Amino acid sequence: MSWRTKVRAAIVSMPILMAGPALAADDPAVLKDLTAVIALQGQPCGQVVTATKQGDNDYAVACKDGSRYRVFVNAEGRVVVQKQ
Amino acid sequence: MIGNRAGAVAAGVLVLLCQACDRTPPASRPTDSAATREAAPAAPGPASKPEAGQTAETATPPRAEPPKAPASAPPVKPTVPDRVKQPASQTTTPPTPAAPTPASPTPAEPAPPAPTPASPPPAAQTPAPPPPTTPAHAATLDLSSLEKRLRETKAIGVFTKLSLKNEVDDLLEQFREFHRSPDQSSRAKLRQAYDLLLLKVLSLLQDGDPGLARDVSSSREALWSILVDPDKFKNL
Repeated sequence: MSWRTKVRAAIVSMPILMAGPALAADDPAVLKDLTAVIALQGQPCGQVVTATKQGDNDYAVACKDGSRYRVFVNAEGRVVVQKQ
Repeated sequence: MIGNRAGAVAAGVLVLLCQACDRTPPASRPTDSAATREAAPAAPGPASKPEAGQTAETATPPRAEPPKAPASAPPVKPTVPDRVKQPASQTTTPPTPAAPTPASPTPAEPAPPAPTPASPPPAAQTPAPPPPTTPAHAATLDLSSLEKRLRETKAIGVFTKLSLKNEVDDLLEQFREFHRSPDQSSRAKLRQAYDLLLLKVLSLLQDGDPGLARDVSSSREALWSILVDPDKFKNL
């Protein structure tokens, strides 16, 4: 493997490696927002501890009580909290 | 003739001036001294009724004062025996003037206070209207500004806002149904749902945006009146 190939591989892999952590939404504001949404929908959660962004307006969240949900906005523009 | 008249006029003027000179001192002094004396006794003696008697008393002494004033200046040192009688009042006259002026207005003021208590009744009547004004004030609530503030507040996250909007839309749809076929039972349910939704909004706002929470809370009844009134609801 040539030196140039190694450099190209590094350049290509860097964004991927950097994007991984970015998908995990650890922003307290987002966690609070998701917690509020789940509570508004009347689902048991307590507090969202981790949230993984799966797409635009689409999160997979883990609650403090161990329950997991998918929170997303459907095609009709409604917020859906789906138990998983 | 002219000389006699001029002389008579001059004599008359002189007589008038003399009379004026004679009158002015007693006329002005009695009033001043009366005021000071009224104050002087008023300060030591808190009696309210004696004022009339004091004014009568002060009317007589003022004339005696002018001659005593020069005499009182030297006797200031032997104050111990004199304080009981007059020198005390004379020596205290300098400090008393401050008290007398307020003392004399106060008796005059009682008249104004009487009207003020008379005015409170109308004031008490005006507070009665305020209750109507509060709803009126709430009725003038600007819905667009409230909506804008809710959209722009950072106290609520995007997902939560969207979820609340969904709930608001659902509630509005229920109100449409209610206005198609009004029913008291459905109205009570609507009120319950409305209160619950408002409670959610307030719970979300109270920490992050207390001002908006307060405004939303204060406009609760106004919003309800709009939602329940078919005409107002159509204009939403």
